[in-house]
Amino acid sequence: MNEPHNKVSISPVGENKPRIDAREKVTGAAIFADDLQFGSALLHARIKRSPHPHALIKKVDVSKARALPGVKAVVTGEDFPGYIGLYLQDRYIFCRDRVRYIGDPVAGVAAISEEIAHQAVELIEVEYEVLPPVLDPEFGASAQAPLLHPDLAKYVVANFIFPEGGTNISNHFKIRKGNVEEAWGQCAAVIERKYHVPHIQHVPIEPHVATARVDETGEITLWGSSQSPFAQRNLIAQSMGISQSKMRVIAPFVGGGFGCKAGVSMEALAVAIASQVKGRPVKLLLTREEEFYTAFVRQGLTAYFKIGCDEKGRLLAMENKFYWDGGAYTEYGVNITRASGYSSSGPYEVPNIKTDSYCVYTNHPVGGPMRGFGMPEMHAGLEQCIDELAHAIGMDAVEFRRRNCLKTGSVLVTGSQMHPTGLPQCIEKAAEAIGWGWKAAPSAPNKRRGKGLALMWKAPAMPPNAGSSAWVELAEDGSVSVGVGGQDIGQGVFTVAAQMAAAALGVPYESVRVATPVDTRYSPYEWQTVASRLTWSMGNAIVNAARDARQQILKTVSEAWEESPNDLDIVNGVVISFKTEREIPLKNLVIYGLPKPDGQGWRGGPVVGRGSFMPTYVTGLDAETGQGERAVVHYTTGAQAVELEIDLETGRIEILKGVSAFDVGKAINPELVKAQMEGGFVQGMSSALFESLQLRNGAVQNPSFVDYRIATAVDAPKDLQAYIIEVPQDDGPWGARGIGEHSMVPTIPAIANAIYDAVGVRLDGPPFTAEKVYLAMVDAGIIQ
Amino acid sequence: MIRNTHPTLPEFEYIRPQSVGEACDFLTRHAADARPFLGGTDVFVRMRDGVLNPKYLVDVKALPGMQEIRFDPQSGLTIGAAVNMNRVIAAAETREHYPLLADACRSVASYQLRSRATVVGNICNASPAGDTLGACLAFNGVLHIQSSQGVRQELLSNFFRGPGKTTLQTGEIAAALFLPLPHAGSQGVYIKLGRNKLSDLSLVGVTALGYPDPGAPSGYRFRLILASVAPTPLIAKQAEDCLAAQPVTPASIQEAARLASEACAPIDDVRGSARYRKQMVKNLSARALTSVWEKLNRRGQNDISSD
Repeated sequence: MNEPHNKVSISPVGENKPRIDAREKVTGAAIFADDLQFGSALLHARIKRSPHPHALIKKVDVSKARALPGVKAVVTGEDFPGYIGLYLQDRYIFCRDRVRYIGDPVAGVAAISEEIAHQAVELIEVEYEVLPPVLDPEFGASAQAPLLHPDLAKYVVANFIFPEGGTNISNHFKIRKGNVEEAWGQCAAVIERKYHVPHIQHVPIEPHVATARVDETGEITLWGSSQSPFAQRNLIAQSMGISQSKMRVIAPFVGGGFGCKAGVSMEALAVAIASQVKGRPVKLLLTREEEFYTAFVRQGLTAYFKIGCDEKGRLLAMENKFYWDGGAYTEYGVNITRASGYSSSGPYEVPNIKTDSYCVYTNHPVGGPMRGFGMPEMHAGLEQCIDELAHAIGMDAVEFRRRNCLKTGSVLVTGSQMHPTGLPQCIEKAAEAIGWGWKAAPSAPNKRRGKGLALMWKAPAMPPNAGSSAWVELAEDGSVSVGVGGQDIGQGVFTVAAQMAAAALGVPYESVRVATPVDTRYSPYEWQTVASRLTWSMGNAIVNAARDARQQILKTVSEAWEESPNDLDIVNGVVISFKTEREIPLKNLVIYGLPKPDGQGWRGGPVVGRGSFMPTYVTGLDAETGQGERAVVHYTTGAQAVELEIDLETGRIEILKGVSAFDVGKAINPELVKAQMEGGFVQGMSSALFESLQLRNGAVQNPSFVDYRIATAVDAPKDLQAYIIEVPQDDGPWGARGIGEHSMVPTIPAIANAIYDAVGVRLDGPPFTAEKVYLAMVDAGIIQ
Repeated sequence: MIRNTHPTLPEFEYIRPQSVGEACDFLTRHAADARPFLGGTDVFVRMRDGVLNPKYLVDVKALPGMQEIRFDPQSGLTIGAAVNMNRVIAAAETREHYPLLADACRSVASYQLRSRATVVGNICNASPAGDTLGACLAFNGVLHIQSSQGVRQELLSNFFRGPGKTTLQTGEIAAALFLPLPHAGSQGVYIKLGRNKLSDLSLVGVTALGYPDPGAPSGYRFRLILASVAPTPLIAKQAEDCLAAQPVTPASIQEAARLASEACAPIDDVRGSARYRKQMVKNLSARALTSVWEKLNRRGQNDISSD
């Protein structure tokens, strides 16, 4: 579809161009949302939050808070009747009748200082009728569980989400393919396992921050750390009952997102409070503690797998049941349930498969998108079962994967066919790099070594018609400005945007700038910076915009030179003719056009290219079978392998080596692709070894870095390798597809498989802390 | 329950007295709402968390002698209360005579935090997890405590009374830590088990120190002090005695480690279970004592060869 080949190959695509934002960020010059200055008009907001996981609100008394000097506004749910949510509108901005998690916002205060706002919050008195909570998704899905959203059946919902009214199940995604019951009889081995993956946090360095101002006419401006300025414009405008054109979102650099700054979360609180103090900006900055329990968390998962194969190792059947701990509101999480359902085979061809993926309301923190969008959680168990199945029939685990993995043309779990994929090459590369089949001696007598490997697949999970747009504008000196609505959240997409614009237009990378910050008033539309979709989707829009600009330029020049545009090209910022060898630099011509001979006027004019992209081919899936023509736009596939060492005296795991191999279609910037693979590995490793939100009666016990440990540089393996496989995507720019999330998907099972290889124990879920590993070894009689 | 933490530090008045007398006087007069502070690495965090709410913070870092680190070859090392851990680590005297203390300091938090954190502050904070407490106890540290009545000296082994609790009285200021000269040939090890490699609190900490002592039946004396497994830093006396009483062998080291594990009384908390901690005391005590024993033997050989 989009193959913008220049005739002369001096393209910056495929080159390791330096990051466009490196200097700003390294020198500290980059502006983040908390850096913005609003002068003395600024008010500070703090939020009164529910101390109960589940309760009815009987009374909210804000009179004392209102009376505190310095307080300018106090708002409650009474003031904001509109629902909000991305795929399922199940949430009020402030609670109105019921609280559903510890931290649920009940009231908000704007005051002249953060401390006064804090004091005012303490003065708000709320009377609750405490209700029994739901603290486990399996229980939550049962008929015995108290109902958390009695109005579920009435909520506005996307047409591919299936809530079950009268229950706590906000989405039930089903796969019914082949005949599982008949297949079990043909299996030589069947593995049945249960895994639990705990909630974790994204822990960006920069906490959520939003500043909102509502002017006298009701127009809203929101400055925030955001992955989704356009989705915020749309959803907040809808909830507040105003036109999208009256809502403006400005999004400076983001200090880490990983999904938690997608959709809408605390931003709506700042807007709602600001609406009561017109003309004054109101700033809400989450504390680190609030970041842990009130921002989106990665949902917990209880997963059941039953997987069988024949004696030759051919996968015959799978029966999977996923209970997603969606938390208090599942407006975003419902689609994680769906994504894990339509990917529930893992990257394998399985003729018979039955899956039930349930999104369940609980009284836990709100689940939302996190790097991998359900795939790390699902693969954590699935890829261990694959290892166990291979062992059960006496086959090498890599050979087993070779035989069963998706190849080009394989039939997928949803019934369609796999597009060209380099998954088999990824397996070979990862196995070779880790030295599969060869075991080194441990570094000390009290240590044991092991190796493990795991595969993954993941598609962008989004509505079928998530769109992108871009513009390309040229200045007097021929330099190029690219307008995008996607966000650089550290992944480097602005750099890639500039590379693609430069290549598609025919100018040097160095003369391209990205028009930032993203501002919904001036930037072109982008659905959200999620789903690893920008390089592919926004990339296509950029290419289309650059092509549009290019056509405008070539038309002007071809008319002036009286040549065919087909004989012209733009190379290195200069229009050249292959036929006449004439040339003219872009500068000046792209603003002023070109004079006609003998003072007879001018042609051309300022060049602005526009482009957009939206997939038009994704079909719906049958609600009962999950079968359909094309469930998703594409799948990125890959493999990871690890070598680790376990200390028998402490249970402590040292990851010695990590290897990643992913098929990215085409690496627009190979170093950035490798950085994603390395970063994803380390984050995956961190979730495998350390991370867990410890929930007790709905309360997060470790809402700070003191007791929520994440991997630091010294925990990362010294030997971290990344391999790029390139089997092009038919509709990707230069064949590219996404890589941002995928690199943390197979890390948990790769490590789990290596633990088994080292000491012969399997744990029921991450994190594989030293304590868990040690006690499991004791309980298994491996050590005393 | 989730605590509603302050968005920033709550308001307080900052007091910087010029003399010990002035400081002690202020602290006495405002007994209920004044607190002395050094680096602030614990106090500020707890104020933000709403656990402490002092009206006055009395910065005692500028008082005479607080910034001094002084070594007397005849008696030992005096570390002023305001000397930060990075200075303790960098001091040549620490490295030469008390390398165990430098190692313990190095295990605390991060370099940045150690530019604020002090050993005396670590002691006064009296957390059972305090990483430097074991080394200071092993060296028979003495705290110099000033008040309007003058200076009193308190053996560290008497100082700790519970988590966050010490014998420090209202109006008193810990001014310095004195570490007597270590016994000739001393070798020490601090093993900290954190959840990840860097900057964690100790799940279990084991401080071991050994030195030749012709007066002991085994010819050696050992100190073994455990962190995070009791309300205060725990001196594993039976384990220490065990290795003095019988020849030091792999078996007697295992026996001492077992005794240490029996002596401790860890709890289940968010960081780890009592069961795991107890086992780790055993394994890491054995590891620490073995390491000290190897160092003692190596040292012996070196001494002979260098003589």
